[in-house]
Amino acid sequence: MTMKIDRSRSDQTVVITVKGEVDLYTSPDLRSAIMKAVRKAKAHVAVDLAGVEYMDSSGVATLVEGFKSAHEQSKTFTLVAPSDSVMKVLQLAKLDGIFEISPAP
Amino acid sequence: MNYDIRLEVRSDPRLLGLIRNLVHDWVDRFELSHDLVHEVVLAIDEACSNVIRHAYEGRADGTLEVRLQEEPEYLEVEVRDQGVPCPPECHERRLLEQPDSDELQPGGLGVQLIHRVFDEVIFCPGKERGNCVTMRLRRDR
Repeated sequence: MTMKIDRSRSDQTVVITVKGEVDLYTSPDLRSAIMKAVRKAKAHVAVDLAGVEYMDSSGVATLVEGFKSAHEQSKTFTLVAPSDSVMKVLQLAKLDGIFEISPAP
Repeated sequence: MNYDIRLEVRSDPRLLGLIRNLVHDWVDRFELSHDLVHEVVLAIDEACSNVIRHAYEGRADGTLEVRLQEEPEYLEVEVRDQGVPCPPECHERRLLEQPDSDELQPGGLGVQLIHRVFDEVIFCPGKERGNCVTMRLRRDR
């Protein structure tokens, strides 16, 4: 499995669900999905990372870019239930305190 | 020198997962914690990604070499390429303690992760082409 992205949309929120491995090869697709979600969402973007088995710094940079873009448009950007693998790379990068993180819905 | 493993692959990002799997199986033999095994795999993946992004500027037809060697005191990893020599400042360790979100710039994070994981990182750009990054992890951690 490399990476799989699903999208769902409600009135105010776009949810991106990511599964598999996020690395230099797959992160451009994640970036496209997140930036599109930021544009389309009326108020909230949620990125469900429970199913992410691996994430490198290009994935982290993608999340940072989405976070910054959402805030520039006065929208919220939330990481939902990040897997252990995601939390480890965020902690190693000292970026776990930057993001709003919520448990699984 | 006979390395435990000497892997030569094309600079194709689709092959990074294969490198990670091999590195994981090699590192996992040394009774390191689960977290440290994950961090070592991540750091080596970052070094390989940097070769593809910077030394080969995204080209998939370059040569990427990973050498893994067990020494009594440490584990040594070398990542080599034949691409554009990167300026030494690309590999400098910078202070990035709890960055503010306004200061965050995508890119450069991979090098910082490498420095956070390994005890010693030596970067040797070639004069005309190629780079070599040597990373050492003490075994008594």
